[in-house]
Amino acid sequence: MTNDDKRNSWRKRAADTAARKEAAAPLFVKGKEVLAKDTVALLEAVIRPFDIVNIEGNNQKQADFLADCLNKVDRGKIHDLHMVQSAVPLPAHLDLFENGIAKKLDFAFGGPQAGRVAKFIENGKIELGAIHTYLELFGRYFLDLTPRVSLVCAYKADRKGNLYTGFNTEDTPAIVEATKFREGIVIAQVNEIVDELPRVDIPGDWVDAVIQSPKPFFIEPLFTRDPALVTDSQILLAMLCLKGIYAEYGVTSMNHGIGFLTSAIELILPTYGLELGLKGKCCTHMILNPHPTMIPAIEEGWVDTIHCFGGELGMEDYVASRPDIFFVGPDGSLRSNRAFAQTAGHYAIDMFIGGTLQIDKYGNSSTATAGRVAGFGGAPNMGCDAKGRRHPTDAWLKCGQELPSLERDIGNIPRGKRLVVQGVETFGEGRKPVFVEELDAWKLAKSANLPIPPVMIYGDDLTHIVTEDGIAYLNRCKDMEARMAAIRAVAGFTEIGLAAKPEETRALREAGIVKTPADLGVDPNRATRDLLAAKSMRDLVTWSGGLYNPPARFRNW
Amino acid sequence: MTNWTDLQSCRFIEASARERAIGLVDEGSFTELAGPFDRVTSPHLKLLGDAVAFDDGIVTGVGQIGRTPVFVISQEGRFIGGSVGEIGGAKMVNTIKLAIDFHDELVAKFADLDEEEKPMVVISFETGGVRLHEANAGLLAHAEVMDQLQKARGKVPVIALIGSKVGAFGGMGFVAAATDVIIMSEFGRLGLTGPEVIEQEMGKEEFDASDRALVFRTTGGRHKYIMGDANFLVENSIAAFREQVSALTGLSIEAFEEMRRIGSSAKVKAQLRAVALAAQMQPGDATEVWSHAGNTDAWGLIDLPLSDFLARVERLSV
Repeated sequence: MTNDDKRNSWRKRAADTAARKEAAAPLFVKGKEVLAKDTVALLEAVIRPFDIVNIEGNNQKQADFLADCLNKVDRGKIHDLHMVQSAVPLPAHLDLFENGIAKKLDFAFGGPQAGRVAKFIENGKIELGAIHTYLELFGRYFLDLTPRVSLVCAYKADRKGNLYTGFNTEDTPAIVEATKFREGIVIAQVNEIVDELPRVDIPGDWVDAVIQSPKPFFIEPLFTRDPALVTDSQILLAMLCLKGIYAEYGVTSMNHGIGFLTSAIELILPTYGLELGLKGKCCTHMILNPHPTMIPAIEEGWVDTIHCFGGELGMEDYVASRPDIFFVGPDGSLRSNRAFAQTAGHYAIDMFIGGTLQIDKYGNSSTATAGRVAGFGGAPNMGCDAKGRRHPTDAWLKCGQELPSLERDIGNIPRGKRLVVQGVETFGEGRKPVFVEELDAWKLAKSANLPIPPVMIYGDDLTHIVTEDGIAYLNRCKDMEARMAAIRAVAGFTEIGLAAKPEETRALREAGIVKTPADLGVDPNRATRDLLAAKSMRDLVTWSGGLYNPPARFRNW
Repeated sequence: MTNWTDLQSCRFIEASARERAIGLVDEGSFTELAGPFDRVTSPHLKLLGDAVAFDDGIVTGVGQIGRTPVFVISQEGRFIGGSVGEIGGAKMVNTIKLAIDFHDELVAKFADLDEEEKPMVVISFETGGVRLHEANAGLLAHAEVMDQLQKARGKVPVIALIGSKVGAFGGMGFVAAATDVIIMSEFGRLGLTGPEVIEQEMGKEEFDASDRALVFRTTGGRHKYIMGDANFLVENSIAAFREQVSALTGLSIEAFEEMRRIGSSAKVKAQLRAVALAAQMQPGDATEVWSHAGNTDAWGLIDLPLSDFLARVERLSV
């Protein structure tokens, strides 16, 4: 065998890529531009059956045009694709399986398509790889799930293929890096092809084709919560969190999950938080999308930095005008990046706080319900104790020091623990009890043939539960018996809560493992909407000095 | 219950029916009639096994502003969307009737009565109209309220306040339109068919009810003020509504008649000219009509602070 032959036997991927691009060559009009009408032909030229393909489906921005076009390819030519992508929120993502174009799916978040995902798994239309977290899936892109072809999404491109992903960069860098540096093919849909980009987020030689889509990509304002809808009981929970957890542990860095409880917390920082003297001591460093409800706290000088997974519609000008707080590019606009924000969320922050639909009697929690395979996106990576963490902070150390089991497990070595907090009303949406004997995740696992019930946060990672009854400090419990008793004590009038024994609860209160609002000195009568720094969307606009521009569906005036 | 002084700064849109009723009249002057302790509840809801409210979602009573007796009707959106059924309707009817009877009694007894001393009716709307659970009785109640409004005409002024979350829609939209004066905040909404129903019947292309900005451009306080459907546009506080009502006390009944949007052949002709204009313009969006009214930067009006809006806005004249 000659040296040349040897070299070629190690370059099969490159040769294959070259052949595919050769087939697509006639479709290019100028530089890397392909016309929207030729998109289906382009996809048919560069994709082969059984390919691993990524359609950029983020938490927010969606390569919707490319997803629609992939559904239109000749399924004689393209079939049995293995889709790997963060989220599958669009009907088109699932149509691929209905149409027989795709067969296997690895993903992290199902969103509105969760019901169809479950059905398709059950009837065999989808062969499920696994339900990942974002970081696990990104990791697998660089291991064994590297996309052969990726269909990504950007605001703007030039004809050299440079991309501007700007405010909603999200997953694009992770996808493109994995694809391109394994000789794959990257196709981008953009809202606009221009001569000059505001900045380059993805270099042109990592991109093979750019297509101006007929209409701007779909983007969802997932993190906008209207302050008008925050209830008094959510405000009570928020007060308990601030006094019993933020102040108690001096939590400076954190992620706030999606939901109204965390919005309530954000909105009472400038009022109740200030009264507790927490300004400068709590919430200084946050990993968050640009939540509009953070505006009052930011304006009042609470926050040093915020790094974002993605953007949020309407917050563009506000973020660009607060570059001391947010991560912005040389052009002045936000650069979000899910991979890095999730890394910070997994290793760097001291606390994750959010809500859930169900908590079982052991403290395992899940948002999975029978008939819906939704996945949990990034929550499990933030809602867990990162065992690889080595840097100490006061909040992390204090939470670890309170663990009675620490000495049993690792002797006399000090170690901290991430605060993982679930704040829930004991009866949630539709008056359904949040505390349950057994998670619906078990039923789902059975019906959808999942190897394990999908758990969002495991009981041993959960350190605190906050309900209208008070706070259960699970990290202070010495064993499973104590943990279950603490959970019962705050579970209200649910079946689990009714099993609580008064003398047991009294002992837990004396030991500081359970604290009621009275124990914490929180007066439930003060928990009214008067505490909210902003009570309406309009107030948020006013707080922002007119810089926040709420999407039409939130404009109540 | 929050004290009267605190109620004044309370946001009108968030205030409960009772808070509005108490805060709209002078401190300590409100007496509730057929209140929750009387437990007059809907017989229909009981039959259906649904929860009832001891006031049936409507607060009625009497108070005063200065020297003016003010009969107050205040609807509670948090009870079945402020829907009006048999009991709530009867409470509205009888409150207006009390005001009329009181007026007649006063006038008969005191020949030299000041305008300021004559009673008025204030209705704080927060409703989608008929309570579907009691459809016929609810519809009948609407008709009876309209009947009372006609009887009050020329004697007792009736003032509509619209600035609560649910707005004033359905049959109660007609009732509001038949009052003498309409006071709105920019967060108030007034219409007949609600946005969701239009979408359901005509499709999302015709009207996207999830587009809140569109909903407010079409039914909200600013639009209604430009169109002349609302007489006054005030800030979103109980105090602001109260001050506007207070400013109307003592006006002659002729002045109230003048403020009506319907009810004379001249006013009907003006309404017909507005219809003709709509037919001619075929506007695709409310802002086109705002422009026609002489507002050069129609879209800019939406986000202006209220005081600037009031200073700059041109209202439609037909």
